[in-house]
Amino acid sequence: MPNEQLLERLVSDLKPVRRRSVARDALVFAAVCVIELALFIGLGAMRPDMTAAMEAPSFWWKLGGLGLIAVVGGAVAIISLDPARSPRRGLRWLVAIVAICLAAGWIIDASREGFSALAARVDWPDGLLCVYKIVLLSVPPLVGLGLLMRRGAPTDTSGTALAVGVAAAAWGAFVFVFACPHDDPFYIALWYALGCGLVTILARFLLPRLTRW
Amino acid sequence: MGSQVTILAGISGAPWLLASRVVARNLNPCDARLPGAYMVDSDWSALMQAAQAGNAERYHRLLVEVGAWLRGYYARRLPPAMVADAVQDTLLAIHEKRHTYDPSRPIEPWLAAIARYKWIDRLRAMKSAPTEALTEDIAIADHGDGVASAWSLERLLRELKPAQSEVIRLVKLQGLSIEETAARTGQSISLVKVNIHRGLRRLTSIVQRQSDAE
Repeated sequence: MPNEQLLERLVSDLKPVRRRSVARDALVFAAVCVIELALFIGLGAMRPDMTAAMEAPSFWWKLGGLGLIAVVGGAVAIISLDPARSPRRGLRWLVAIVAICLAAGWIIDASREGFSALAARVDWPDGLLCVYKIVLLSVPPLVGLGLLMRRGAPTDTSGTALAVGVAAAAWGAFVFVFACPHDDPFYIALWYALGCGLVTILARFLLPRLTRW
Repeated sequence: MGSQVTILAGISGAPWLLASRVVARNLNPCDARLPGAYMVDSDWSALMQAAQAGNAERYHRLLVEVGAWLRGYYARRLPPAMVADAVQDTLLAIHEKRHTYDPSRPIEPWLAAIARYKWIDRLRAMKSAPTEALTEDIAIADHGDGVASAWSLERLLRELKPAQSEVIRLVKLQGLSIEETAARTGQSISLVKVNIHRGLRRLTSIVQRQSDAE
């Protein structure tokens, strides 16, 4: 198509647009997350021993850690929807936060019964169920951030997709914390990492293809 | 001197950053093809704000001026045969993503990021796209840009292993077939394909790394 013809087409197609706003995008993501959490708890999925669980440091470790990862991941993803912003620095922060969370879990674990009988603590039938539920609960924030990514203009699509994946997975796991009866840091580190890892990998390979511009 | 500035600007991916240096050296800014050279009597940020509000006349002016800058931008980074498509592709992307421009920030990094994104897209597309031999008239039509492009690409190709840069030069820039290239270089046909694929992937990652560093 000749250049002039393209310009005429673009100009004739011109309509006023509403500017993208980071605050509005963050609000959309937060709304999706809060609605999911409210629905999850409202449908009666919360663990029955919640009052007792709240006394365990490992409960607050997993809730706080996952919440922090979801918030930072969401912020990195949304900021990187501006073409001139790279998500790489934010991703490095995310890696550091995940490492700190895992180290904190190790300290909590070491203060319990030592490192014996790790194999018995894996509890793989429950673990696989956890992975499945985390993946399922990650879908709403993944779709929400994916739609924002499609509307935005990320120029490092693989980096943004990684941040989206981490944020969505962490939020899915955060919501699941309210139902998960396990408080063993080893169990959580293993199965939650697997669930979050799957969602992150899925986002990394799927989103760049779906949000190509 | 002017061409040196052009080539360095092409490698950095942010040519306007050199604008003050060009002026300080008393070079003609038009020779260096900086955005500033095109923004003589208009402010692209103001034009884009008007476009976001639906002003067609100012939008047309913006697209014409940005299109001229993009031609210079891609002429330094792509083989001449790919420049027109890259310019049109980028203008389309600017149109589709115009709502992502925030007028409180300068427009140049926003434009350059989109242009670089589409440049990387073109480098990736070279892996699968069939290659046509460059005709004589293409080279003659824009000799200066062709030379600059060759320089910029040459700088990038030097970052690759010799076997990779050699087959990319022969197949993607000179238009030889895979078979001819295999015969000329002594590499097997499958090795030529692998080297092209890996070389272009590495070029893409080099460009992305430059973007992160900036």
